[in-house]
Amino acid sequence: METTVSDSPPEHLSLIIDLSPTQWHLSSLDTNPQPLSLRLFISQVLVFLNAHLASRHDNTIAVLVALPGKNVMIYSSSDTIEESDHQSPLDESNTYQPFRAMNSAVVQRIDEELGAQEHGETEAPIGLVGALTKALCHINRLTHPTASANPSIAVPTPPNPRILIFSVSPDLSTAYIPLMNSIFSAQKLKVAIDVCKLYGEDTVFLQQAAHLTGGLYVNPERRDALLQYLAMCFLPSTAIRRVLGMPTQDHVDFRAACFCHKNIIDIGYICSVCLSIFCSPVPVCSTCRTKFPIKTLQRLMLNRPSPLSNGHQRTASPAPQR
Amino acid sequence: MPPRRRDGAYVHNAGTSSESEGFDDIDDGNYGDKRKNKGKGKAKDTGKGSQDKGKGKSKEQAYAWEATYTRSWDTVQEDEGGSLQTAVEDLLARGRRRRLLEPSSAIRRTIIRHLMLLLDLSSSMLDRDLRPSRFDLTLEYSRQFIVEWFDQNPLGQIGIVGMRGGLGERIGDMSGNPQDVLKAISDRRRLQPDGDPSLQNAIDMARGSMSHLPTHSSREILIIYGSLTTCDPGNIHDTLDACINDKIRVSVVSLAAEMKICRELANKTGGVFGVVMNEDHYKELMFELVPPPAQRSASRLTGGSTNFSADLMMMGFPTRLPDTSPLSLCVCHSQLKGEGFLCPRCKAQVCDVPTDCDICGLMIVSSPHLARSYHHLFPVKPYQAVTETGLSPSPKCHGCSHSFPEKPSATGSDPTTADVISPLGRYRCPDCEKDFCADCDVFVHDVLHVCPGCQ
Ligand SMILES: [Zn+2]
Ligand SMILES: [Zn+2]
Ligand SMILES: [Zn+2]
Ligand SMILES: [Zn+2]
Ligand SMILES: [Zn+2]
Ligand SMILES: [Zn+2]
Repeated sequence: METTVSDSPPEHLSLIIDLSPTQWHLSSLDTNPQPLSLRLFISQVLVFLNAHLASRHDNTIAVLVALPGKNVMIYSSSDTIEESDHQSPLDESNTYQPFRAMNSAVVQRIDEELGAQEHGETEAPIGLVGALTKALCHINRLTHPTASANPSIAVPTPPNPRILIFSVSPDLSTAYIPLMNSIFSAQKLKVAIDVCKLYGEDTVFLQQAAHLTGGLYVNPERRDALLQYLAMCFLPSTAIRRVLGMPTQDHVDFRAACFCHKNIIDIGYICSVCLSIFCSPVPVCSTCRTKFPIKTLQRLMLNRPSPLSNGHQRTASPAPQR
Repeated sequence: MPPRRRDGAYVHNAGTSSESEGFDDIDDGNYGDKRKNKGKGKAKDTGKGSQDKGKGKSKEQAYAWEATYTRSWDTVQEDEGGSLQTAVEDLLARGRRRRLLEPSSAIRRTIIRHLMLLLDLSSSMLDRDLRPSRFDLTLEYSRQFIVEWFDQNPLGQIGIVGMRGGLGERIGDMSGNPQDVLKAISDRRRLQPDGDPSLQNAIDMARGSMSHLPTHSSREILIIYGSLTTCDPGNIHDTLDACINDKIRVSVVSLAAEMKICRELANKTGGVFGVVMNEDHYKELMFELVPPPAQRSASRLTGGSTNFSADLMMMGFPTRLPDTSPLSLCVCHSQLKGEGFLCPRCKAQVCDVPTDCDICGLMIVSSPHLARSYHHLFPVKPYQAVTETGLSPSPKCHGCSHSFPEKPSATGSDPTTADVISPLGRYRCPDCEKDFCADCDVFVHDVLHVCPGCQ
């Protein structure tokens, strides 16, 4: 561990877990080919996190959870964990204390957050993009240590950061612009965004996130072998991945969400002034108030593809005929 | 570029401040030379002026164009303890004030831009008053400029024209691919400066290559000019009128001194004019032109490039095929390829985007390209410096989750920065009322463009 890794920076992993209660309930139903419950998932993620921390002593993690209408950072390596009450159960005498502390902190905080959820009729949208922005703020602090800090203290090598998102919810088209802005900031910070789609259909925007930041998008075929996927795909750093055979992303869909209805569309009408996207020809741009010429509108209305061939209808068949 | 590194550059300048106090005297061979050139410019002297002409000017007397710019090492002062803490905070404070002054509502910007970069390649570019030389620095900054420009203007195109030997010289054709443009100026030897520049010839050439552009796109010319003369075949004012007619915005960055025609070109076409003070200032002037220009009301300038017509365009967002996909003929080159993009309307395979589909004519763009400019449309409101915490202040920054300092910092009481620097290190979003640390404030507004609390 001394000679081989000391010249490369440590790895920082920010984990974002989508904790949508509805989606996790659906995921655990026995009607699924391989049901995956939240409990089972968390236990595998903890093993994965321990492996990440064990592979190098200065590796760090941060864990964020996205809940309906909310997101919180529940654990970070820089936190000091107060040794809490549950002392000395016999079965824990053989565990490595830092891992045990982290595991219990993560599990406890997830329980707290899920318990604090209100059981309303409808679920608010998942705060996944908010969690992503927080992860980026956190990474920005880690990789760009404050200049005004005391210069006499040697700044440790900034870690090599990446983000791993566990997604179970469908695309959040309402957060399209914030998500894209986050992706571009991740590019600037040189942060790879990995996505592990655990349940439900592929999400177009997270696919784009992984593609644009050089991360992996993995939709495990065998969810019962999740830990295997985690260890093989997401444990190696981005540098090591280049020499390993990694699952490549199949088609990447560059569809966007229209500004007017937040529909995901593949053919849109773009304002030449501000590049706002609309799903149908509009006389006035709602973003920049530009009025479009009547002639253009008439021409576009005539050429317009039938509404059925546009938008959501194609989501079910992403692989086009070739 | 992350803002932190820029701060680092300032700090670096600050570190050398004690040596640079006597800069004029010590490094006379270089700096005095620059002054000499400026003296020449003021006097509109065309020949190689004598050394004492520049020396004759009082060194303390600032030229008009110098007055507007303060050198970063002049502004940075060490505090009593010899620390740069106050200086750094002062710089942060200025950044914050600038942000507060910016309009927070969405302003109309020109997104589809066409820029001709006119590089002076005359012998005056061999001058070494900018290190390593005007020519090398210009090439280096041009490269950075092109990368940054395409980053912020993904649907834009850049062409390059050189000015040397009294002629305009086409160096790079108008292209939307940054690699093509960078390649055009990659060969330093091919661009070796020589002879005199001709503004008129170069502008006319640039104008010619932009004549075919659609009306909803902007036309801009950026001139990097090191010379103080121009040798033109005709009346340059005719060219100026033609630019006004064609609604071309001409901006000039002069490396030597102010020339009347250059300022006139910029002023009458709605462009920007600036004279370079030093290397950093050069970059600042050039990079001011990177963000898409706000569309000013057409009344400000009669000939501005502002009143072009807007339009609604139909565009398709393709599906990208990996290179492992089965081979198929592309419609653009008729080659068997795996990699490519599928037109969403006719499913034809094209090699690269943005392009027009050769089969159905649909304009195919990748949506992330469009999305790069959206932060201009929906900027994050500036955060307010918090001076007093409420009853139960949040213990941690809402962005990075770092703890806020327990007690106010001592330096924060500085009255000059008190309006924008929070003594508590807290900056509050006016919308979600969450508190953020100073680092996150800068990061959110300069890079992220999303408020983590409002999401
Ligand atoms: Zn719509
Ligand atoms: Zn618009
Ligand atoms: Zn082709
Ligand atoms: Zn087509
Ligand atoms: Zn912060
Ligand atoms: Zn906010």
